[in-house]
Amino acid sequence: MTCIVNVKGLTKSYKNQSVLKGLSWEIEPGDVVGLLGKNGAGKSTLLKSLLNISDIDSGEISIFGEQYNQLSSKNKARIGYVPQENDEISWLSVNDLINFRKQFYSTWSDEKVTELISRWEIDATKKIAELSPGQVQRVLIILALAPMPDLLIFDEPAASLDPAGRRDFLKEILTLVSDENITVIFSTHITSDLERIANKVAILDRGKICYFNGLDVTKESVVQLIVHCKKEQDITIPYLLRGKVHSQGQYGVVSQLDQVWLAEMKEQAVEVTINPMGLEDIFLELTA
Amino acid sequence: MEQFIISPSSGIPIYKQLYSQIERMVLNGYFSVDQRLPSVRQVASDLDVNPMTVSKAYGLLEERGYLTRLRGKGMVVTARDDEVLQQEKLTMLDEMIKELLAQAKQMGISDDKVVQMINRNVANKQDETVGKE
Repeated sequence: MTCIVNVKGLTKSYKNQSVLKGLSWEIEPGDVVGLLGKNGAGKSTLLKSLLNISDIDSGEISIFGEQYNQLSSKNKARIGYVPQENDEISWLSVNDLINFRKQFYSTWSDEKVTELISRWEIDATKKIAELSPGQVQRVLIILALAPMPDLLIFDEPAASLDPAGRRDFLKEILTLVSDENITVIFSTHITSDLERIANKVAILDRGKICYFNGLDVTKESVVQLIVHCKKEQDITIPYLLRGKVHSQGQYGVVSQLDQVWLAEMKEQAVEVTINPMGLEDIFLELTA
Repeated sequence: MEQFIISPSSGIPIYKQLYSQIERMVLNGYFSVDQRLPSVRQVASDLDVNPMTVSKAYGLLEERGYLTRLRGKGMVVTARDDEVLQQEKLTMLDEMIKELLAQAKQMGISDDKVVQMINRNVANKQDETVGKE
């Protein structure tokens, strides 16, 4: 399968602080990828690099099979992007901004714009500067969705939306995913949003994508284990991220559940309790 | 419209949560034989989850023989022998009993004690029924 996004050995530093350190990443068509990372991990830098908004030091990036900084205008129009901060001309009215942006796209959907403007109750005669942060974010989302893109990149899309607004935004993305088979990459701090809509989760830590896997697989493999054994039984838990030995046994968090080891434990009559974890805890364990 | 309940932030993947709910709803007769299940799209939109998640649950239920995919109709509950169905129910209860015994063991309660408690509960229930009559 050809990848929609393919990154190899991406490096980027600001002054003498290195942010991305030889990062590689492949996104397949139809994937909805949630990108997690601590503050300052470089999520925005990574997303901006993909879009050629931020210069990179070295590495290769291809989007739709083309080199990222030589994208054909046809392929450029297939990408929708919602930045973390509004970089649109704020003295324009919503209507004027929409009409301005529309000129650059041949696939612009007026229908989608009208539908979202009315559903999200935006007064399109108002200037961008007069809108609340949540409303501005909605306008940015509309601008990104209107050209009916094949690849959507969101940088903290839901940060300034209230819970109802966030849920409605997720609904819209899900509709697009089921109808158009688009590919979505979004960075977020809100793991519960990611848990609803993503099929894959990526973690950016120490300049690299340190973890990239299916969300379901992640929840099935990154788990807490309680091994009910005596202290003198010398048991080593495989793929251990963090562990503690108690008089009653061992406690640990693993990055992978080793089935062979589990079978061995059963044979030795050592009881192992497996407790699944939510994504927030998984994220904290994997980046600790 | 059938409403499923999920908790996205639980450590149990959403497709598994859906799978066990629907499995139970088929076994306890909430969904009857040949009844059509809501479409993947419908469920995904009601629960605000990725449609792939719902497909995965439906696919697994089909694989295990609970559902049958009908052309143009979507998923319907498979008609199965009473014997097979009975076996499925017993398997499910068996899993629950294993879990119960494991929990009891963790609390330091013996298997014998659990059996005693079950017997007492059965006896109490019978007493109540007799009392009502």
